[in-house]
Amino acid sequence: MKCDRCNKPATIHLTEIRNGKSLELHLCQQCAAEAGYLQQTHLSMNDMLTEFVKAKTGMSQRDALVCPDCGMKWQEFKETGLLGCPKDYEIFSDQLRGVIENAQRGATHHTGKTPTATVAPEDSVKLRQAELSRLKKDLTDALEHESYEVAAMLRDQIKALEAVPPTH
Amino acid sequence: MNPQIQKLLGKSGEWLASTGPQNAVVVSSRVRLARNLADFPFMTKAGRTQRAELHRLCREQLLGMSSARPFFYIDMEKTDQVDRQLLVERHLISKQHAFGDGSRGVAVSDDEAFSIMVNEEDHIRLQVIRSGLQLRECWREADTLDNALGQHLRYAFSDRFGFLTACPTNLGTGMRVSVMLHLPALKLTDEIEKVFVAAKDMHLAVRGLFGEGTEAIGDFYQISNQTTLGRSEEEILTEFADVILPRLIAAELSARSVLEQERPLMLDDKIGRAVGLLRNARLLSSEEALFGLSHLRLGVAMGRVANLTMSTINRIFLTTQPGHFQRTLGQSLEGEARKAARASYVRQLMTPAAG
Repeated sequence: MKCDRCNKPATIHLTEIRNGKSLELHLCQQCAAEAGYLQQTHLSMNDMLTEFVKAKTGMSQRDALVCPDCGMKWQEFKETGLLGCPKDYEIFSDQLRGVIENAQRGATHHTGKTPTATVAPEDSVKLRQAELSRLKKDLTDALEHESYEVAAMLRDQIKALEAVPPTH
Repeated sequence: MNPQIQKLLGKSGEWLASTGPQNAVVVSSRVRLARNLADFPFMTKAGRTQRAELHRLCREQLLGMSSARPFFYIDMEKTDQVDRQLLVERHLISKQHAFGDGSRGVAVSDDEAFSIMVNEEDHIRLQVIRSGLQLRECWREADTLDNALGQHLRYAFSDRFGFLTACPTNLGTGMRVSVMLHLPALKLTDEIEKVFVAAKDMHLAVRGLFGEGTEAIGDFYQISNQTTLGRSEEEILTEFADVILPRLIAAELSARSVLEQERPLMLDDKIGRAVGLLRNARLLSSEEALFGLSHLRLGVAMGRVANLTMSTINRIFLTTQPGHFQRTLGQSLEGEARKAARASYVRQLMTPAAG
């Protein structure tokens, strides 16, 4: 994008409210300085963000975006700095790009370790419970048929499985 | 009082009791990992029931986790205010975790080498802390614990962004490496501001004694990495431990030798006044105690104070904090009575230094 005043690349993007109407401004560093937009350095980053959000309220569809999983709104994130659920990283991917690059010195991809989990815990609990109820049923059957050797073996298996801490 | 916390009271954690490498400047090293479960919202959007379910699930997994160190679990909602304060003073939980609300807890190893907070800003905040400069050791253990825990918990993870965290500033590795540095000489030589500027240039965060949002008291500063994405854990560690820290340590040590050579009288005056304060004060606030202990620590580190060891200083350092002091006294005192009791307690501990 080029500067509104000259042809240099625009690096400063502003939304100005004049007489209740908003005005988008795209300026290069020099023109922005000349126009006096760069003098408000006493404002903290947070104030500037809040101002920015206020100026955008009601104008931008981006701000109205809501995560279907957790109900998080983009505006909410801007106020707290905290996301609502893992899916927010997909839902707000456009908006988050700049935030992440700023916070992470321009980094965009993970290169570190990956999780070790292979079995979801719910699944491992379910599997174990299914196995236990199968063994218990077999034990009842074995006792009914007076197969005491089989029953003893099954009882040992049940004991061993029950001794494992939950979800192992 | 929680009996598990009571057991901690009689001793200090390894990170404070012993003296690791570079302990003249580096008090402790810490590595912390942030993790969230894939099938739950982050804390901001977790309702009461989900929060309780998260807590139950993580607690259960933690208690079943294999660990070389024995550990115990504390439910924050069943813990009184003084005990919570005590855990903060021992750097086992954050202030936010201590004084926030809702279902939450912490697993703590008996020797306080690790603690794992459940339902803090992220579902899981795992930290390993050690005395002196031992960041690699911290990372190795944190990695092992993370693997043990991650075997049965499905973490929120994306190939692109790595471990997903409530705040994008922790995204990726979810790893924060930090050291607590004691920088009194840089303060005395008016160079501490330069360190802050340099730290900012190197993308580091500088915080006070108890982390985020706390002041630097007694020349103790927590320095940590700010970026967690785009570099592996090993790369983050290498830059922090092999490039950044040696510079900061060298700066403090060089300021100390400048003081020793050019202003020995001023140096001994500061140290002597600290000894005088701690040995003679009749009313002592915890801030004053820390202030005195800072210069005393400098004196011991530089071999300019006789008959006093680093571990005695560490002991006073911990036991004069508000929560600890209240437990040590066994009663709750206010205002002047508390300051008087603290002064008398410190005088006793300082007695071996007499002469």
